[in-house]
Amino acid sequence: MNDQEKDQLRELNWRRPLNPEEQAQLQVWLEADSEKRADWEVEARLTEGLSQLTDAPLASNFTARVLKAIEREEAADARRSRRARVAWWLRWLPRAAFAALIGTGGFFAAQQLYLARVRADIRTSVEVVSSVPSMPGPEILEDFDAIRALSSSEADEKLLTLLQ
Amino acid sequence: MSSEHDPDAALMMRVKEGDMAAFTELVDKYKQPVMNLVYRMLRDVTEAEDVAQNVFVQVHRSAYRYQISSKFSTWLFTIARNLSLNEIRRRSRHPADSMEAASSEQDQPWHQYQDMKATPPPDKLLYGELEQKIEDALSELPENQRIALLLCRQEELSYEEMANVLGCSLSAVKSLIHRGRETLKQKLKPYLQTGVWHDPQ
Repeated sequence: MNDQEKDQLRELNWRRPLNPEEQAQLQVWLEADSEKRADWEVEARLTEGLSQLTDAPLASNFTARVLKAIEREEAADARRSRRARVAWWLRWLPRAAFAALIGTGGFFAAQQLYLARVRADIRTSVEVVSSVPSMPGPEILEDFDAIRALSSSEADEKLLTLLQ
Repeated sequence: MSSEHDPDAALMMRVKEGDMAAFTELVDKYKQPVMNLVYRMLRDVTEAEDVAQNVFVQVHRSAYRYQISSKFSTWLFTIARNLSLNEIRRRSRHPADSMEAASSEQDQPWHQYQDMKATPPPDKLLYGELEQKIEDALSELPENQRIALLLCRQEELSYEEMANVLGCSLSAVKSLIHRGRETLKQKLKPYLQTGVWHDPQ
C-alpha cells in the first residue's frame, strides 16, 4: 500500500467505519507495519464514537413551526409593503398636490395675462379707430361730377365749340 | 450540476415556484442533520431549535434566487454554519442576552425533557458518559475544526463540498479535520485506549 492509498483509507476512516474490504486492505498494511496498529485502532474508535453520537433533541412539531414562522414572515412582509405604499403616498401626495396647485395657478395666471394682452390690443385698436376724424356727409358729393370735370386736364371740346 | 443529479435541487426548484409540499419534504429530510450541526455548535437546545428554524426560513426566503450550481445540502449547511456563527458572535457580544430569555413561556411547550424516573441500565449509563465526554471534547474545539468534524459526519457531503460550506480549500478542510481529531484523541485518550465504544443498544 502506498502513501496515497493510506491517506485515502485514513480519509475514509474519518467519515465512517471501514467496510470489511477496506479493513482487509488495512490489515495487510498493518501486518507489514505493526507500530501503526495502535494509532489506527485509536482512529477507528474515535470514528466509531463520533458516528454513534445520538441525534440532538428535536421537537416533533418542528416542521409545523417552520411553516408557521414562514407564514408569519410573509404576513409581516405584506404589512411592511402595505405600510411602505401608504408612506410613499403620504410622502408624495402633498408634494403632488402642491405641484398641481402651482401648475393650475400658473395656467390661470398665464391665461389671465393672455386675456389682458388681448384686451389691451383691442383697446388700442378702438382708440386708433376713434381718433380718426368723422366722415363728411353725402351732400358734399352733390357737385362731385362738375368738380371732377374741373380737375380734368383735357380740353373741353364742347365748350370751345360753343365759344367759337 | 442539474436537478436530475440532485433530487433535493429539483425539490428546491419546485419551492422556487411556491410549492410548499416540496419545501415540507426538504424540511423533513434535513431537520435532524441541521439540528445536529447547530446544536453541537451552540450547545443549547432552545437556541439550536430557533437557529435551525431560521435556517429553513432563510432557505424559503432565498428560494427565489436559488441556482443549481452546487448541491442543495451544500447550500443548506452553509446557511446553517453562517447562522450558527452569527449566534455565537451575538452571544459573545451580549453574553446575558440569551435567545432563551427572550422567548416567552408559551413558546416552549415542545421542548423535550429527559424522563428522570426511568432508571437507565449500567451499560447505557457508561455509554452515556462516554458520549458526554465526546460531546464535551467537541465543544471545546475551535469553531472551524468543530464544524469540519461535524460536517464530516454528513455522508452526503464530499470533502470538496465541505470546503465550499467552510469557504476554504480542500487541503484546509483536511487539515482542520486532522487537527480536530488529534485534539479529540488527546482529550479522549483514556477512553479510546480502553476501547469501550460499543452502543449498548
